[in-house]
Amino acid sequence: MDEKFDVIVIGAGFGGPIAAKICAEAGLKTLLIERSKNIGDKVISGLTIPFYGFLFGPAFIRDGNPPFERPADGIVNFIIKDIDKGDIDVDDSLRVPKPFGPIIAFGYNTYCKPFCEWEVKKAVEAGVVVQTSTTVIDVIKKNGCIKGIITDKDERIGSKMVIDAEGSQGLVAIKAGIREKYPPETISLADTYDYEMPKNSIDRIFGYSVKMCWGWDEQKVAPPLGYGNGLMVWPYRESLHFMQDQCLRLHSKVPNLPKLFEEYHENITTKLPWWKDQVAPRAKLRARMWEGFEIYVGLNGRLREMPNHTDGMILIGDAAGLESTELCDGVPAAWFSAEIAAKVAIEAIKLNDTSKSFLKKYDDMIKSHPIIQWSISGRNRYNLRMAQIEHDEVKLKKYIHNGWGLGSLTHFTTPLLKVLFSSIKNDTSIVTKWIKMYFRNYQNWIYETYEFSEKDYKFQTLSKRPEFGQALFTSILNILNSLLKVASKFKRLYSKSLISLSEFSNPFLSKILPKFEPRYLKLVRFFEPFLNRLSQKILSFIERADPKTFYVA
Amino acid sequence: MIKKSHKFPGVEWIEGTGDFINISEDKCSGCANCVKICLGSCFKIVHRKAKIVNLENCMECASCWYVCPEDAIDFAWPKGGTGYRSNWG
Repeated sequence: MDEKFDVIVIGAGFGGPIAAKICAEAGLKTLLIERSKNIGDKVISGLTIPFYGFLFGPAFIRDGNPPFERPADGIVNFIIKDIDKGDIDVDDSLRVPKPFGPIIAFGYNTYCKPFCEWEVKKAVEAGVVVQTSTTVIDVIKKNGCIKGIITDKDERIGSKMVIDAEGSQGLVAIKAGIREKYPPETISLADTYDYEMPKNSIDRIFGYSVKMCWGWDEQKVAPPLGYGNGLMVWPYRESLHFMQDQCLRLHSKVPNLPKLFEEYHENITTKLPWWKDQVAPRAKLRARMWEGFEIYVGLNGRLREMPNHTDGMILIGDAAGLESTELCDGVPAAWFSAEIAAKVAIEAIKLNDTSKSFLKKYDDMIKSHPIIQWSISGRNRYNLRMAQIEHDEVKLKKYIHNGWGLGSLTHFTTPLLKVLFSSIKNDTSIVTKWIKMYFRNYQNWIYETYEFSEKDYKFQTLSKRPEFGQALFTSILNILNSLLKVASKFKRLYSKSLISLSEFSNPFLSKILPKFEPRYLKLVRFFEPFLNRLSQKILSFIERADPKTFYVA
Repeated sequence: MIKKSHKFPGVEWIEGTGDFINISEDKCSGCANCVKICLGSCFKIVHRKAKIVNLENCMECASCWYVCPEDAIDFAWPKGGTGYRSNWG
């Protein structure tokens, strides 16, 4: 049959448009298919896209103006020992210290719909053909090779390659014979509530921090059957997003989910002091939605090895089981895998070899990606659950600290540094792009200046810009750029020393962090007034600066 | 396309989905896992067999399909442009 397209991408979520855009930019005829009527109609929110997605993900996101709701500077963990007596401990050690936060954000809290719309519009600009309201029901197979897709309108659309970004259920991937259905143990159902709330109340109660709650099972605050499940509340611009999640089956038991979620949600919203006293009087429920995510696939070695490609077809993001067990976030892995898949697909089409053995390249690159592998194979949530079952407070606090506190540095630093150093090795100018991104994103958050936003641009037209500050900022970045360029001449030394040094960072930090951390926190507290003043100055500079200062050419 | 309000706030239901969830009566053992897991109360046990009673409460999460021990539930995506939708995702 005729190949109408070079590449067909199934699903316009976070990963699909990225893969489609890159293929189109390489001159391939690309079709992006989405089953909902409008982009983002069927996505579920409640997320912070972590900084590493923005730093190491697609360049147009890093250098562009994507729509997000609020920068996140860290996490406040509430460890609930007795909710009735108000016996609650707090671990808020994971916070970007002033004056870096909230500019150098830990991540960006986001509604998925506008973000996916923005990605799709960028893909369309690159030449991608988008077809919505179309469900893919099967693939076209020819001599065992995937040669296109079949839609619910009985269309048969031929292509040289199919990239499947349909999400964790993987119905098309299963039909194509690539992978099997995930067992219910690996799926967590996320029950989300969207609340409207005045911005000034959110600023005061949350600031830039995500709040998480953990508790003993009998406290009935965070669903008990998952692997150490907690619940999270994200502050957005003028709304809150609340999420509780629950594993679909554990120890052969299927929970009564409607009863459980209602009971726990009721409990937390009527008993937890900060929700009851501060949030409840100001928040108005606007939407409730849920979706299953394969966040425990990584805990199972066999499932982690499940195939992610076949002749003519590649799976990316959640369809490939890449949702993070560590941070319960699938966006960075969807972006990374989309970029890798597009790169491999372009090469395969160029060489006219879309065979499984050639596409194995994709699998190899996923398996050797330090951040993807770290994020899908972490055991922290599992350990946390065991601590809850044993009712061991010391262990519980340890794993909360290791997962959502400063202790996360002890397992995250090596993968982070590896990707960081290799990104700089490829392009030294990326460092100044990162810095500009942080400054630009903060300014965009203040003025709500996102591309394709329905709202009007709200940039202040200031008569007096901080000329000196702008010049200083630009000069510092120029000097930094030149220094990095000089340093790049010593590439061999660099790859041998720094990149291999990162190998030792996790064990090193595990040893020194426990001793260093109390001193660090004391130091931060001691210098707080000074750091706050400094932070105010930098923030006010960004607010008044000419937006062009932070643009990437 | 007729839009209806969904059982849950902030969500709409666009008709014309087709029967995207199908239960094989022969395979169903009446274990009620689907009833227990479904947040939309889409299922009911009638004469020891699962039946779909409120498909328009569905959020297409496929939990029923995951938890069915007999593989009696066949889950597909609804027809393009139909099913649940929201502005708040």
